[in-house]
Amino acid sequence: MFGSILLQAAGVQESFLQFLGKNLELFLTYTGVYNATPGHIIMILIGLFFIFLAIKYEFEPMLLIPIGFGILIGNIPFKDAGLQVGIYEQGSVLNILYQGVTSGWYPPLIFLGIGAMTDFSALISNPKLMLIGAAAQFGIFGAYTIALQMGFEPNQAGAIGIIGGADGPTAIFLSSKLAPNLMGAIAVSAYSYMALVPIIQPPFMRLLTTKKERLIRMKPPRAVSSTEKIIFPIVGLLLTCFLVPSGLPLLGMLFFGNLLKESGVTRRLAETARGPLIDTITILLGITVGASTQATQFLTLNSIKIFGLGALSFVIATCAGIIFVKIFNLILKDGNKINPLIGNAGVSAVPDSARISQTVGLEYDPTNYLLMHAMGPNVAGVIGSAVAAGILLGFLG
Amino acid sequence: MINKKIGVLLLFVVLFSFGANAQRAASMRINEVLVDNEDNFVDDYGKRHPWIELYNTSAGTVNIAGCYLTNDKNNPKKYPIPKGDVLTIIPPHQHTLFWADGEPNRGTFHVNFTLDPATDNYIALYDADGRTLIDEITIPAAQKADVSYGRVIDGQDEWAQLTKVTPSTNNLTLDSNEKIENFKENDSIGIGMTVTAMAVVFSGLFLLYIIFKQVGKFAIAASKRNAKKAAGTASGVSADAGEESGEIFAAIATALYEMSDDNHDVENTVLTIRKVARTYSPWSSKLYGLREVPRK
Repeated sequence: MFGSILLQAAGVQESFLQFLGKNLELFLTYTGVYNATPGHIIMILIGLFFIFLAIKYEFEPMLLIPIGFGILIGNIPFKDAGLQVGIYEQGSVLNILYQGVTSGWYPPLIFLGIGAMTDFSALISNPKLMLIGAAAQFGIFGAYTIALQMGFEPNQAGAIGIIGGADGPTAIFLSSKLAPNLMGAIAVSAYSYMALVPIIQPPFMRLLTTKKERLIRMKPPRAVSSTEKIIFPIVGLLLTCFLVPSGLPLLGMLFFGNLLKESGVTRRLAETARGPLIDTITILLGITVGASTQATQFLTLNSIKIFGLGALSFVIATCAGIIFVKIFNLILKDGNKINPLIGNAGVSAVPDSARISQTVGLEYDPTNYLLMHAMGPNVAGVIGSAVAAGILLGFLG
Repeated sequence: MINKKIGVLLLFVVLFSFGANAQRAASMRINEVLVDNEDNFVDDYGKRHPWIELYNTSAGTVNIAGCYLTNDKNNPKKYPIPKGDVLTIIPPHQHTLFWADGEPNRGTFHVNFTLDPATDNYIALYDADGRTLIDEITIPAAQKADVSYGRVIDGQDEWAQLTKVTPSTNNLTLDSNEKIENFKENDSIGIGMTVTAMAVVFSGLFLLYIIFKQVGKFAIAASKRNAKKAAGTASGVSADAGEESGEIFAAIATALYEMSDDNHDVENTVLTIRKVARTYSPWSSKLYGLREVPRK
């Protein structure tokens, strides 16, 4: 009797242990360790590198910390069991947050904030600097041409080329419309190179300028009246959007934000746009763009090509801006010459590229402050890249 | 003040009426009609009847509930499209199909009239007010069986007999992106795009440059004018006012002070000329976005 009970208990125990063993085995298949691939590890290392760059060297920490951490989030391996954890699983929290990127409504909100924090005085006081912002857009179309040669479709080439505009929100906006499947790589590439502007631009600035040119002193900008500052966003919007209506979401919000700032009567709205709103969107944008780099979707040959083309487009944009200034100087009178070191600022990485002009300028003349002058082409670059995005969208969308 | 309020109110009314227009059925078009359905599309009841396809030409969703379909010029309200059916909400650039079987009790999309292949068939779509004509078409008589009469390209003006009958889908089937194919064929290197796009970018920013150069000139001229005006107001007192030394002002002030205080005892007094400096406050700082005090 007692023996049979023991045997029965042993049988129960054995089946229970089997049950536990199977459960544990099943649980293991759900763990990140079980599902990890070399791709995940590579992406996690890239994410850690971004975080390192942001903290150690302060390269665009506002972008690289959220993107870097987003890469970590996006590359935690998991079993695709419909648990709604991944960014590409419809209905997951990350997927819902990612809608702002895929539907393209984060970038215009970022532009609203940029408009509300940008002072266009430098540009208004010396409007010829706008042309430098236009010249630097050669980076976009240079990369577009090369991408075509590398076998990308025209719409994909357009989305890749926009990296050369050095404008993350514009790159995301355009790629979400023209080539959604490449958006992750394009966004990460655009933001990475924006952060690496201090490394990419100076060698080309030195290479393309003579010592004499680097010492050119520009006339101090005149004081700009508040009326001029109010007129600027209104005329800017009407003119650019009548020319390229497809740039409306970005340009509309940029100039609207600027009017909030300059009108002087909507201080609270301007403060919100350039403060809490842009911060919130930057966090959401950064983390979701980072998380969109899931190794399974991201680590492809195309992504590597896009990274190469992105770097090239930055170089072309930088060189085009500097060379344009040098040519422009040929027709300018002596007192009105422009220091070609501000040519790099035509890419719209605001204000980093303008800061580079200042830093490199000070190396050669510690009393020649170029920051104020460089801000002109820098903000013109924002307008120029948004116009260029509108053109690409109009032609290829 | 009241006039101002009325003006603002009117402005809003006008703005909203423009906005509302985009949501109305004005962007719907009669897109394709099959008058003689012998061996073509069948309805949910498994029957073949003539059908009328409508197309939303806009990029916004349109609800056609409450609009009217008719085949009688004298009776625009012949078939009111029922309200409360979610299927009457037509997404952007999408189609919907109505069966002209004279059996409205079969559902929202079955109208109360039929089409006759032997005669001309007039079909019209009226807005919810029953007066505003949105679209109309007269289908010529003697249509061939199973050949529809429709717009060659969805929503566009040209009508033709369509041997490829396409109920609820595009009349012209696109198997590629025409724009992209065009670029691939004619601009494989990208030079055309580069030249065109850079020309547009340069033109845009060049126009801005021209405008703001002129605006700048006006602003400089205006500030000079204001400065002169300010100087002119001061010169109303004396042509060379402000050029006297501080000592003269001190002497005048002392004389005035002594005269006004003549009745008092003489006291020890120190008179100084001190520069008045406005103290900094965040409330008056431009940094905080407040408007400057008007200069008068």
